[in-house]
Amino acid sequence: MKKHAVLIGSFNRARSLAHSLLNKGFHVTIIYHDLEKCKILAENESINVLYGDETKPFILEDANVQDADLVISLTSRDEDNLMICELCKKKYNVKKTFSVLNDPLKTEFFYKMGVDSVICEVNAITNVIEQQAFYEGIATKITTGEGRIGIAEVPILKESPSVGKKLWEIKLPKEVIIGCIIRGEVSLIPRGDTRILIGDKLILISSNDQELTAIKELTGRI
Amino acid sequence: MKRDVKIVKTYTLIIGCGRLGASLANELSELNRDVIVVDRDKNAFRKLSPSYGGLTLIGDATDLNILKQAEIEMASTLIVVTNSDNTNIMVSQISKELYHVDQVITRVYDPERTFVYENQGIETVSPLILLKDRIKMLIHN
Repeated sequence: MKKHAVLIGSFNRARSLAHSLLNKGFHVTIIYHDLEKCKILAENESINVLYGDETKPFILEDANVQDADLVISLTSRDEDNLMICELCKKKYNVKKTFSVLNDPLKTEFFYKMGVDSVICEVNAITNVIEQQAFYEGIATKITTGEGRIGIAEVPILKESPSVGKKLWEIKLPKEVIIGCIIRGEVSLIPRGDTRILIGDKLILISSNDQELTAIKELTGRI
Repeated sequence: MKRDVKIVKTYTLIIGCGRLGASLANELSELNRDVIVVDRDKNAFRKLSPSYGGLTLIGDATDLNILKQAEIEMASTLIVVTNSDNTNIMVSQISKELYHVDQVITRVYDPERTFVYENQGIETVSPLILLKDRIKMLIHN
């Protein structure tokens, strides 16, 4: 039997998610509160579209959430998402509920209330923007540890002040380490007397508040 | 000698300064209870009477920082009466779950969502049910 996914409360996100879920062989239902948008969604015949207030139990019942394997709540209001996930969990015993969340402070609270997976949009989006827009000095950045720890790839160019220095000669902040140096095809695990050369890529592991200072120290720019 | 200082929670926090929130605030303040009213619209506070002796706070009560600013840890009673059921329920659950407020009273327009908040120590009042009971009583008389 096909797995059933219910997407709730956002036009664009639901539409693009629906396409990828259909490709993965899911049976997809979308619930949305705007009739015109629902008509557009319904143009794709393999999607089941339901028009109505997403947080009402009878609407959820109409969408057969009780048989759903996956409920993804995407509305723009945190309280609505929580209500939807709680109804699905407590009243309809849905196995897996996902919720997007605006306010990062409430992540833990959402998990406490029984939501299986909480995706904090603000965190996700700010991370991407930071990575792409703000730091010229960074090539790639991964955030981990609930957003407190960053792993960044920092390329060393010829004008960087750290070129030719040994690691112990560089004043790095305390909560930063250089975990690895990528030099051409080889990767080195650095020691205090390793010298930094032009063209090196440093893999920097740091707490978020110290990262900028460290990058400035290494490359001379942010 | 170290003495345990017992924190006395005494005040009432009201979320939502609509007609119900404002008139409750006025009456509780009249009874000399300490009251804070929170609303995200500053014009809402015009409904408070001139003799209202409590505090007001402008902000969104679904924001944990606003709740902290309202010193929710010190509240003995929380009354949640905004015009949105989902907001009311979420704020109530936050205050029970994260701040362990003793008494939480919430207005819920649509009683169909009981599943979500039952057995969590939240007291709910539904205008629909009250009206229904009252009208039934009038019919029987």
